Amino acid sequence: MIGESVPMLDSLARVTGTLDYMINLRLPNMLVGKIVRSQSPHAKLLKVDITNALQVPGVIAILTGADLGANAFYGAGIKDQGVVAVDRVRYVGEPIAAIAAESLDAAEEAELLIDIEYDELPAVFDAQAAIQAGAPTLHEKFPNNIFKHAKLRHGDLDVAFAEADEIFEDTFTSPPAQQASLEPHVSAAQWDGERLTIWTASQAPFMVRKTLSEIFGIAPEAVRVIVPPLGGGYGGKGHIRIEPLAAAMARKTNGRPVKFALSRAEEFVTVTKHAASITLKTGVKRDGTFTARQVTLYWNGGAYADASPLLVPAGMVRSVGPYRIPAVHVDSYGIYTNLPPAGAYRGAMSSQTTWAYESQMDIIARKMGWDPLEFRMKNLFVSGDRFATGEELRDVHFVECLEASAKGLGAPSSPALLPEGEGKRGRGYGVMMKSTVATSKSQARLKLTDDGMVTLFTSTVEMGQGGHTTMAQITAEALGVPLSAIKIIGPDTAITPFDSTTSASRSTSMMGNAVVAACGSMRKKLFELSAPLLETPPDQLRTKNGFVVANETSISFGDILKRNNLNELNEAGEYSTSLGLDPETGQGVSTPHWHQGAGAAEVKVDTETGRVTILRYSAASFAGRVVNPRMAQLQNDGNVIFGLGPALMEEIVFDGGQPTNPNLADYSIPSIRDIPVELTSICIESDEGEMHGIGEMTLPPVAPAIANAIEDAIGVRIKDLPITAEKILRALREKSQP
Amino acid sequence: MILNVNGSRHEVQEGTRTLLEVLRDDLGLVGTKEGCGVGMCGACTVLVDGRPISGCLILAEQVVGKEILTVEGLEKNGQLHPIQQAFIDERAFQCAYCTPGFILSTAALLNENPNPSEDEIREYLSGNLCRCGSYQNILKAVLRAHQRV
Ligand code: FES
Ligand code: FES
Repeated sequence: MIGESVPMLDSLARVTGTLDYMINLRLPNMLVGKIVRSQSPHAKLLKVDITNALQVPGVIAILTGADLGANAFYGAGIKDQGVVAVDRVRYVGEPIAAIAAESLDAAEEAELLIDIEYDELPAVFDAQAAIQAGAPTLHEKFPNNIFKHAKLRHGDLDVAFAEADEIFEDTFTSPPAQQASLEPHVSAAQWDGERLTIWTASQAPFMVRKTLSEIFGIAPEAVRVIVPPLGGGYGGKGHIRIEPLAAAMARKTNGRPVKFALSRAEEFVTVTKHAASITLKTGVKRDGTFTARQVTLYWNGGAYADASPLLVPAGMVRSVGPYRIPAVHVDSYGIYTNLPPAGAYRGAMSSQTTWAYESQMDIIARKMGWDPLEFRMKNLFVSGDRFATGEELRDVHFVECLEASAKGLGAPSSPALLPEGEGKRGRGYGVMMKSTVATSKSQARLKLTDDGMVTLFTSTVEMGQGGHTTMAQITAEALGVPLSAIKIIGPDTAITPFDSTTSASRSTSMMGNAVVAACGSMRKKLFELSAPLLETPPDQLRTKNGFVVANETSISFGDILKRNNLNELNEAGEYSTSLGLDPETGQGVSTPHWHQGAGAAEVKVDTETGRVTILRYSAASFAGRVVNPRMAQLQNDGNVIFGLGPALMEEIVFDGGQPTNPNLADYSIPSIRDIPVELTSICIESDEGEMHGIGEMTLPPVAPAIANAIEDAIGVRIKDLPITAEKILRALREKSQP
Repeated sequence: MILNVNGSRHEVQEGTRTLLEVLRDDLGLVGTKEGCGVGMCGACTVLVDGRPISGCLILAEQVVGKEILTVEGLEKNGQLHPIQQAFIDERAFQCAYCTPGFILSTAALLNENPNPSEDEIREYLSGNLCRCGSYQNILKAVLRAHQRV
C-alpha cells in the first residue's frame, strides 16, 4: 500500500462538488455573523455605541469589548490579542464588534448604525522603524515593540570573520503577502449551556480547543471542535483566527448557532505572511569554504504576536542555510507594527530566509569567480555534519536534491543570447533546509469491528494535501488490511484523539508513526486472540489482507472477533518528540528531522519589458519514503507553482495601514499561464526509509533560483521580493548608467 | 422568476442577487464556490447556454430563460462525466475548491474546441485559479478528457 499512487479517498466528492467544506455548513436556526472592523491603524476607542444597531429587525445580538472577561485574550506564548478590541485598536481591520443576525442584509444594516469614535494615535508600519527610539509603542509590556528576540550563538564570530579572505554583507527583503486559500476562514459556534461546539476551517483543532477553554473558563472536554475538509490552508489556518470571536458571539444568542464566513477583503486583514528584512554577513575563504555567518532578521509581526513567538525562533533556525559554516550568530526579532497579524505562510519563514541565503550564495560565487552550482556542492551539509545548533545531521540529502534539480534542467547551456528581440536566458539554483516542529504529539485510535472494517480516528486535517489518504495507506500496510476496509474519521475533538497541528509538513511523519504504533498494538492483540484458534504461537503469525496468517492456515480479522465473542477491538498509538534549543545560545536539537528541497530554474528575460518567463523548472524534495508517489509529486509541483507567487507577483501594499489591494484582481496569484513551460519534480528516498512530509520543500528555493537565473541572464541582482518587471528594468537602467 | 438549472425548472424569488447566491443559498447547489467575488478566480464558473460565466458577476435575473449547468448537472445516470473522470485519473486537484469551476470551464472549452492545443488550454483556463497549484495535472486532465469527450 505504501508506495502506491491510489487516488485521494474522497476523489468522487471532490470532482462532483459534494465535499462538505465549512462554507456549506447549515445548522438549524443558524444565524449569520458579521464582523465590524477598525478603520484606524492605531487609536483609542472612545465609544462603541450599539444602541441603534440593536433596533434593526433581524439583529439578534451584538458583541463588543464590553462583553469580554479578563481572560478574553489569546496568542501563542503572548496573550495580547483580544477576542474583539477592548479599548484600543492597533490595525486597520481589527475586529471591534460582531453582529449575529437572521440575514446578512440585517447585519450589514446594523453595521452602519454602530457608532464608533476613535482617538487617533501615531502609528508605525515598518518593522525597523518600529524599533527606533521615539516610535509609537503598541503594547506597553514591550516598549520598544520587540516582543521576541531569538538568539543563536555558535563559535567565535570575530575570530572567524578575521580568518575570512572576503566578507559579504547583503540585505534581502520580502513584503507582506496573503496565504489566499480559495476557501476563506469560516467558523460556526453554538453553546448548549456551558458546552461549546465549534465547526471551523482550522489546521489545529486541539489548539482551538485549548484556547477556547482558557478564554471561557471551561474544561477542554466541554469544547468540541469539528473540522471538515479544508479548501486550502497553507499556514493561514494554522493558528487561532476567528474561533474566539465566533464562540463569544454565540454566547449571546441563546443557544442559536452563528456562522462567520470571511470575505476575500477580510482575509487580507486576518493573517499575512511576515514581511521580513534579512541581513546576512558572510565570511568566505579563497579556497571556497565559509568561515562565519551573522544573520539579523527583522520580522514584521503586525499588531499582535499571534503565532510569531513560535515562528520567530523557527525563522532563526531556518535562516542559516544548508552549508558548513564554523561560526554562526543569529538574531531574530519579532516586532510589533500597526499592520494585521502575521502568521505562517507555506514554507513558513523559510520562504523569506531561503530567499536571503540562496541569493547571497550566487552573489558570493559570482564575485569570487566560482561556479554557483559547484560552490554549493562543495559546502552542502552531508549526514554526520553538525549544524549551527550543535545537533548532528542525519539522513540529509541536500547534495542529491540539488544534483537531481540541476539534472532535471537538461544539458547545461551557458547564458546564450537568443535571437534578436527574444530576451536572454539564464539558469539559477536554490536549496532549502528547514526544521519542523521540535516538540509535538500525535495520537491515533483504531477500531476494528467484527465485519472486518477498520476505522481510523485521527485529528489530522485533510486540507487537500491528501493527509487522510496517506494515513489510510499507512494503516493498510502496517495492519495488513485492504484499503477498502478502512474508514477515516476526524478531526472531531469529541471522538478523535490529540494531535498538535496539521502544519510544518509534520503529519506524515508524526501522525504516520502514531498510526503505525496503533497498528502494532492491534496486530499484537489479534495475534493473541488468534493464536489458540490457529494453534500457532503469536510470534509466528503475520497479517495479510485482513487475515491473520499462520503457516498453513489463516483466519479473517472479523472471524477472530466473532470467535472470541467480541464486537470490536480498540487500540491506540502515540508518537511524540520533545526537543528544543537553549533560549540564550540557540544550542540543542531543533527538529526531529530536516526538510530538504532544491530547485533549478531556466528563465528568459525580455530586456525591453523586464518580463521574466520561466522556461524550465526542475525541483526535488527529500521524502524519506514516499507513501503515494503521484500525490507526492503533486505536492512538489504545487509548491513550485505556489512559490512563483511570492517570487514574481505577490505583495500586499499598505497605505497608512490600509491594504490597497485586498482582492484577487489587484493582488495576483499564479494562474495556469504563469507556470513554467516545462516543470518537472522528483522525490528523493533513502534506505533508512523514514516517512517525511513534503508539503513545503520545493517552495522556498523558487524565488532565489529565479533571481539567480535572472542575474545569470542579464547581470542584475534583485534583492527585494517580488521580482517584478519594473524592478528588473530599473536595475538594468542603473547598471547601464556608469 | 424561473431558472432552468441542470435540466429542471426552479422557481426562485425575484431580487437583485447574483446567480452564485441563488444557486448556493436557494437551490442548495453548493458545488459552485465563491473564491473572490470579483470575477477573477473562476471558482464560481457555471455554464449559461454552454458558455462559461462567473456566477458571482451575473445576476440571477439576467439568466432567466437560459440553460444553466452546474457541476451537479454533469453526471449522467450515475456515471461521472468524462472530464470528471479525467480529473481523477490525472490527480488534477488537491483541496478541490477550484475543481468544479475548472471542470465546467473545461467542458465549455471542449464544446468550442474539441481538440485544443496545450497553449489554447492555458489561454482558456487562465481565468480559473488554483491556489494549491494543481495546474500541471489539470493540463494533463484536459488533454486526456478531450480524447474521451
Ligand atoms: S468567485 Fe466568481 S470569479 Fe471568483
Ligand atoms: S486544488 Fe486547491 S485551489 Fe485548486
